Formats: sequence, C-alpha cells, structure tokens
Amino acid sequence: MLRESLIVSTLVELADNLVDNFDIINILTILSGRCVEALEVDAAGVLLVSPGGELQFVASSSESMRVLELFQIQTNEGPCVDSYRSGLPVVNVALSEANGRWPLFAPRSIEHGFHSVHSLPLRLRGRTIGALNLFRTSQGAMGDDDIAAAQGFAHVATIAILQHRAIIDATTLNEQLNYALNSRIIIEQAKGIIAEATKCRMDQAFERLRAHSRNHNQGLTGVASAVVAGTLRANDLDIQK
Amino acid sequence: MSAERLIDIFILMAKHESDDPLGSSLCSVAKDITELSGAAISVITKDGMREQLCASNNIAHRLMDLEITFKEGPGHDASQYGTANEVIELIANEGQRWSLYAPEAVELGARAVFGFPIRVGAVVFGALSLYRDSPGPLSEEQSSSAYLMASVIGRAVLVMQAGVPRGAIANELQGQSTFDFSVHQASGMLSVQAKLSMKDALIMLRSHAFAVDLSPSELARRIIDRSTRFDFQSGEWLQADSEDGKYGI
Repeated sequence: MLRESLIVSTLVELADNLVDNFDIINILTILSGRCVEALEVDAAGVLLVSPGGELQFVASSSESMRVLELFQIQTNEGPCVDSYRSGLPVVNVALSEANGRWPLFAPRSIEHGFHSVHSLPLRLRGRTIGALNLFRTSQGAMGDDDIAAAQGFAHVATIAILQHRAIIDATTLNEQLNYALNSRIIIEQAKGIIAEATKCRMDQAFERLRAHSRNHNQGLTGVASAVVAGTLRANDLDIQK
Repeated sequence: MSAERLIDIFILMAKHESDDPLGSSLCSVAKDITELSGAAISVITKDGMREQLCASNNIAHRLMDLEITFKEGPGHDASQYGTANEVIELIANEGQRWSLYAPEAVELGARAVFGFPIRVGAVVFGALSLYRDSPGPLSEEQSSSAYLMASVIGRAVLVMQAGVPRGAIANELQGQSTFDFSVHQASGMLSVQAKLSMKDALIMLRSHAFAVDLSPSELARRIIDRSTRFDFQSGEWLQADSEDGKYGI
C-alpha cells in the first residue's frame, strides 16, 4: 500500500473509531471541566436517565460533585432530580434557604462547601434524557448570560449523548432513511406525471394518488411506483374517495 | 485527533443549530471546523443517485449541482469509491480530471476541492464536498477535522431520522435549505412532455438547466408553475407568455 493511502486509511479508522467508540464519559467529563472554566461555577456534572428510567451518575468536574450527584440519586431529591422531573431549568437556588425543598440534600451540599445550585435539563424532542448540574461555592445569582451559556453546554452534552446512541442502531436507521428518501422521490415523480398528464395542480395530483391508494388499499409508494413505471396510467387513477 | 476536537464539533453544532434547522447547519459546521470556503453534503439514494442535503453557501450549493449534473467531482468520487480525494489546484488540473466539472468549478470561484466519504458502518452513506477559493492542500489538522466531521455527519443525520415513522423523513431534513424534491416533481412532468423515462427526464432537466445557466431547482420551479415546457413535436423548450399564457420559444 502506498504510504499516502496508508495514512488516509489510518485517519478514516481513527475518525470512525473516535465517533464509534468514543468514550461518552470522557467527553462529558471534559465538557464538565469546560463549564467550570467558561461559567462562573465551581463544579459541574452530568446525570443521565437509564433505559429503565432511573437517573445515573455519568460525569463530574470534581470528586465532591460526584459525591453530591450520587447523593441526589440515592435520596431522590435535589436540583437535578427536580429539573429532570419537570423538564425545566432550576436556577439560582440558595442552599441556605432550601432546607424545606431539599431537607437532606441542602445541608449535605453546604457541608461540601457549596452555596448555590443550578440544574439544566438535557432535552430532546420534548423528552428529558438527563440534567447538567452547576454548583457554586459563593452566594448570589448567576447572570442571564451565564445561564444562557449554561443552556448551550446542556445542548452540547445532549448532542454528544445522541451521537453516542446513534451508533447502536445505525444500520437500521440508514436503511430507513434510504427507504424514506426513495419513496419520497417516487411520490414526487408520480405527482409530476399526474399533474402533466391530467393537467391538474400538484396538490390535486397528490390527492388523486391518495384517493387511489385508499380505495385500492395499496400503499402510497406502491401506487406511485406503478405510475412511474407506466403500469398504472395517470388517467386511470381514481379521482376521489 | 482527540476528544477535544470532537467536543469542538459538538459545540459548533449546538451554536449553528440555534440559527438553522439541524439538517442545514451541518454544512456550516463542516465549513467552520475545516476553515475552508464552503461545504456541501450529499446523500446516496437508489441506483447510486445523489441528493443534496445542504450547502453552507451559494457557491457550495452550485458546485454540488455541478457534481450531481455531471457525475463528477470530489463528493461524487468519494461516495463512488469510498475514499477521500482532492484536487489542490483546479486551474492546473483543467481538462485532466473531471473535464466537465473542473472548468465550471473554477468559473464559480473554487480553486481547490476536497471530497470525504460519509460512512455508517460498512455502508457509504454520502459525501462531504469542500472547496477553498485559493489553491493548496489541507493541513494535517484540517484533514483530520474533515474525517471526523464526516463521521459525525452520518450519525447526526441518523439521529434526526430516529423515531420517525417508516417511510417518512424527519422534519429537520426537509424544507428550503435541505432536501429539495421539486426537481423530481418537475422530472415527472418533463417525462410526460418529452416522452422519456424518469431517469432520462432527470438528466434532461439537469443538462438543460446547465445550458441555460439556471439552477436545477429554478428550472424545476418554472416547469412546475408551467412557465416553461418542453414541446415534443418541435423538440424545443417553450416559455409561456406572461400575458396570454401561450407558449413560444
């Protein structure tokens, strides 16, 4: 093999490997560290929901954060649990005033030196898949800019998690997308044939495809394929139900 | 190549996604992460045909139209052979490789072009086409970013498609800046007008668009709104008069 193509194939392999087998925990740990650098927070961490619906610890920027995240899961209370359940951000909660809300979690966090907490849900198409937690050692509210930036990080974490999960059923999804694209193209082609052959508008052409498909209990793609193949003439399509 | 670079890509994806639908923002991310002039993504469909998913700018879009019309170019070769390829000086290359694509690409302002296959497992899913308005090779860093980006694109598209009912295409992948199906509608009409197979009608539409310097989408629009039609008797393309709607040359 030529030296150059050897380098190329190595690069492809590396890229695919990094994406295929990327260590999601490593990625989210680095991301937690970046939150601490970029935002006015002292610790950051990510919890994810398991397929069984339980929150699981995934990554954190520090050991005390890890302890507190696990504590939230064990006691089933805390900002992360709240934002995961509601799907809404929990921001700027002062722990000194949160004993009523989180009787176990609030004093334990103060013991670890934290005084205010935030948690942002990781959301996808209306579903919450986890939460990003941000803890501060100082009192006082986080600014709007920081909250917006934190939401951005939550989004990045969501993208990383999705990329990771996509690998699991990549082949099936690929076949589905290909099927969907092909059937969409055939339907559009058939609409064009019908619109031209029967001198109707594109939406009327689609209606005829649908009517024929319903009346003959055939799939839309099947009817469209027959029109494109010429085995079903546009003029022979049913006009309405 | 590192996890850090991958995170940079995810951060760009999050940033661009707030401005554009995810489907079209992938091209902007590819352009940014490789620091080139533009990027376009194509997906392979039935019979090895290609559909443009997105383009980061108008030139990238027109370069992709050229690739699909002529079946030549970096993305075409990348998806055909499954390997990365490049022409780092299109002017010197003129007439040698991609005899139809290269001179037109120069005309549009591209001087160097690069193609990377987008794989999902063992299957080549599509290609990432990149161009620069000045000649020269990619740096090692640019090249590894492009490989990484190509891997990310395949997954990102599949993530969008996940959970969509069978036969449907995810919303993020449809719309003005993503897959454009009007060319296929117009090909359907043209196949009736010109008494051609669907495949030949599509080729005819694309080559006529090129000949009259229109984008395939623009010619498709005119065919669909019946301001342009092909007359089988005379073998001419006719334009509808805007006043009386009658067709003439």
